[in-house]
Amino acid sequence: MRRRSPWLWAVALLAYAFLYLPLVIVVVYSFNDSRLNAEWVGFTLDWYRRLAANDEMLAAAGNSLLIALVASAAATVLGTMAGFAMHRYRLRLLPVLVLCPIAIPEILMGVSLLIFFVLLNVTLGLLSVAIAHVAFCIGFVAIVVRARLAGMDESLTEAARDCGATPAQAFRRVTLPLIMPGVIAGALMAFTMSIDDFVITFFTAGAGTVTLPLQIYSMIKIAVTPEVNAVSTLLMLLTLALIVVAAKVSPSLFRTDPEASPR
Amino acid sequence: MNPSRALLAACLLWSLSSAGVASAKDQLHLYNWNNYIAPETVKRFEAQCKCEVVQTYYADNEELLAKLAAGAKGYDVLVPTANAVQALIKGGQLRPLDKALLPNLKNVDPAFLPTAFDPGGQYAAPYAMSTTIIGYNDAKLKELGLPTDTWAVIFEPKYLEKVKGRVTVLDSSAELFAAAFKYLGYSANDIDPKHWDEATLLIKKAKPYWAAFNASSYIKELTVGNIWLVHGYSNDIFQANQDAQAAKRSFHVLQGMPKEGAVLAVDNMVIHRSAPRPDLAHQFINFMLDGRNSAELTNLIGSGNPNLDARRYIQPELTKYPAIFPPSQVQAKLEQLTELTASQRRLRNRLWTEIKAGR
Amino acid sequence: MRRDAQGGRWLVSGPPLLYLLVFFAAPTLLMVLASFRSPADFGGLAPLVDDSGTVDLNVEAWMRFATEPIYLRIFMKSIGYAAVTTVLCLLLAYPLAALIARSDRRHRDLLLLLVILPFWSNFLIRVYAWMIILGPNAALARTLNGVLALAGVAPVSLLFSAFAVLVCLVYVHLPFMVLPLYANLEKHDQALLDAAQDLGASAWQRFWRVTFPLSLPGVYAGAALVFIPAFGIFAIPDILGGPNDSLIGNVIKQQFLETRDWPFGSVLSIVLTGMALALAGLAAAVGRRGRVRA
Repeated sequence: MRRRSPWLWAVALLAYAFLYLPLVIVVVYSFNDSRLNAEWVGFTLDWYRRLAANDEMLAAAGNSLLIALVASAAATVLGTMAGFAMHRYRLRLLPVLVLCPIAIPEILMGVSLLIFFVLLNVTLGLLSVAIAHVAFCIGFVAIVVRARLAGMDESLTEAARDCGATPAQAFRRVTLPLIMPGVIAGALMAFTMSIDDFVITFFTAGAGTVTLPLQIYSMIKIAVTPEVNAVSTLLMLLTLALIVVAAKVSPSLFRTDPEASPR
Repeated sequence: MNPSRALLAACLLWSLSSAGVASAKDQLHLYNWNNYIAPETVKRFEAQCKCEVVQTYYADNEELLAKLAAGAKGYDVLVPTANAVQALIKGGQLRPLDKALLPNLKNVDPAFLPTAFDPGGQYAAPYAMSTTIIGYNDAKLKELGLPTDTWAVIFEPKYLEKVKGRVTVLDSSAELFAAAFKYLGYSANDIDPKHWDEATLLIKKAKPYWAAFNASSYIKELTVGNIWLVHGYSNDIFQANQDAQAAKRSFHVLQGMPKEGAVLAVDNMVIHRSAPRPDLAHQFINFMLDGRNSAELTNLIGSGNPNLDARRYIQPELTKYPAIFPPSQVQAKLEQLTELTASQRRLRNRLWTEIKAGR
Repeated sequence: MRRDAQGGRWLVSGPPLLYLLVFFAAPTLLMVLASFRSPADFGGLAPLVDDSGTVDLNVEAWMRFATEPIYLRIFMKSIGYAAVTTVLCLLLAYPLAALIARSDRRHRDLLLLLVILPFWSNFLIRVYAWMIILGPNAALARTLNGVLALAGVAPVSLLFSAFAVLVCLVYVHLPFMVLPLYANLEKHDQALLDAAQDLGASAWQRFWRVTFPLSLPGVYAGAALVFIPAFGIFAIPDILGGPNDSLIGNVIKQQFLETRDWPFGSVLSIVLTGMALALAGLAAAVGRRGRVRA
């Protein structure tokens, strides 16, 4: 029988309230009849109308989504490999390399990547931004996956090997489903980091490349109008929709129900 | 791997790499401040040159300088402020203007061309300008009986007491030190370390009364009435008043030009040395030097205008603002910021860090 | 068995290692080198080898850091802010992660998505939302100051203060504590807790002696993913902070932008990274010892 203490419920609800209070304001203010995001004046759908006509902003949002999808996918794959390797083998260089991009100030990483790309004569564009994003997202995935693996029951994997599975099969059919919640958590974090990144994106973006954060931060000195609230609200809903669709279309990807559950 | 997933991955990668490729159409890459050109102006230029204007934005000269210093390429026209132009010229980042392609240069007020930082006007064409002044909530300041035409109201504790926690200053060491120098009677570009120490002391004494060092969200707070007095840019303060009136507030947000003088920031159009389309760049600059096009920005955001031909297109009410069109006695007290050497910048940053971290 | 373990090692650790070496280590080493060079007068770095053929390498920037105590003070202050943020995040995130981990499978994914959904909106407007919530005319500040007025205390400003910075820091980093904790708590076997209960353990004892120790890897992961980014942050103090809330992230940003002193910026960044890694390593070592002892 699962007893849930009322304490747990209370604090958890408080945490959700904390998370959602600003968001409610963000969404509500997207209907605010004032150019500034500062006080409620009146209701209007104007900002959504303007957004629909604002090709620049929409293109920027599209770019952000595209980069985030690609970067988080790549980072999840590489990060899971890294997390698994760090747990399994005694490595010295990889843990440092994985943690450093998270520690290093973004502005240093941005400037250094720009210098690096220029040195190699790489054309800056969406791809250069995605490459940069993968570099700092790998760490998030790796750390979560390693934490998930820590204390995991190795006997299951060994049993699979004893039954004749190759290491690859053992990983795919036994280990991966068991660490899936960690992988998904890491992927979600990587996606979040990528879609909202400003500093590194600023330096690695090309002359015609605009992502949503770049667009929005450039408005910081004039006014961040409710159009930004509108595009943020829509982007959130779109991302949510994408995930729901992906989960329905490819349930095996999100299966957190391992085939060989210890329960 | 699942073949449909592989296909999806391939599609995403392809769209990523091809999304950056230039289309066959001619493109002008304009790297500018956000909201610093009217949309109608861009459309008119695109129709005239039969090209596409691809705009990317920055929010600060320093960001532009850092990106170019690290080697970024692909931009045609940039719009840096005077001291940033100076840095770019010295750093060899600019392409000289071909005056033969810029007949409209004659429209520029001779007071702004040529300048000390660009002898001969080789690289820069003035675009728009603003001053860094005082912005205030007229109802509140009248109620408290505070002066609005002097920097003293930002720096003197005897005035600051009345508005404690309701004042913000710009989060820029260059601008704040310049304001302090002006108040102390020195030049905004003073490099005497003794004067710098004096200014630091002045700032530290006033700091406990300030709510924040803020260059981004102060205008919002001024408009809603949380902040009553700011050290800010004239364009922003003009916009704040427009927003306050639109929200039907009981007060106005007014510009106060300090009698001791202020910083004038002239933004210039320049061409990057590795501009892919210098021909389009020259066309654009000449286009923007035409009075009608230049005036559209002033009418939009209340920026100052160094273009004489533009006067007849500017809305008459705007010409009355001294912060936008400073009369000659005020002009005499306005100064443009110049670049410092690396060691001077280091010293200034050291003092700035002390100010911000100090107890 | 041994042979394919070796091959497997490179197969699994190779790709991420290679990627990070090329796209992270190489560029970063360029900037580490930059810390030994001089800034150019008008931005960027002075040429490595100047016209007369002398190589420009010096330790000026490092000496500056070593001889001016103010920077170390700011580092300590930033560690303080980051530590408080981490602790607060942990206190708030743990119950949330536990709740999600113990929910039915159907609800679990939805609850998890709900945690991260707000963070797909733009950072800036979320911070602006906090400015609205903490503003002097909003309900929160007015209620607080009303209570303070009753007690005869002068009104306080919630905005442009250390409080605002901390609230926003916790807010922005919360999912990065929740997700790792959840990933760990999810696999806890309920049977262990039931057994403990059968043996007479109270709810608190069950938590402290069973759940918490098992969740330590998740706690450390979450703490690392909150502390390390929070240590170097600059945007939140810039927007919401008061005149005294400048952190080391702000100072580093100034070196690269306003002051155009890339060597010194590199020095501060290297020290920051070193400190962050050292603290992470320390926590990991303590954690390992703790587990061995238990």
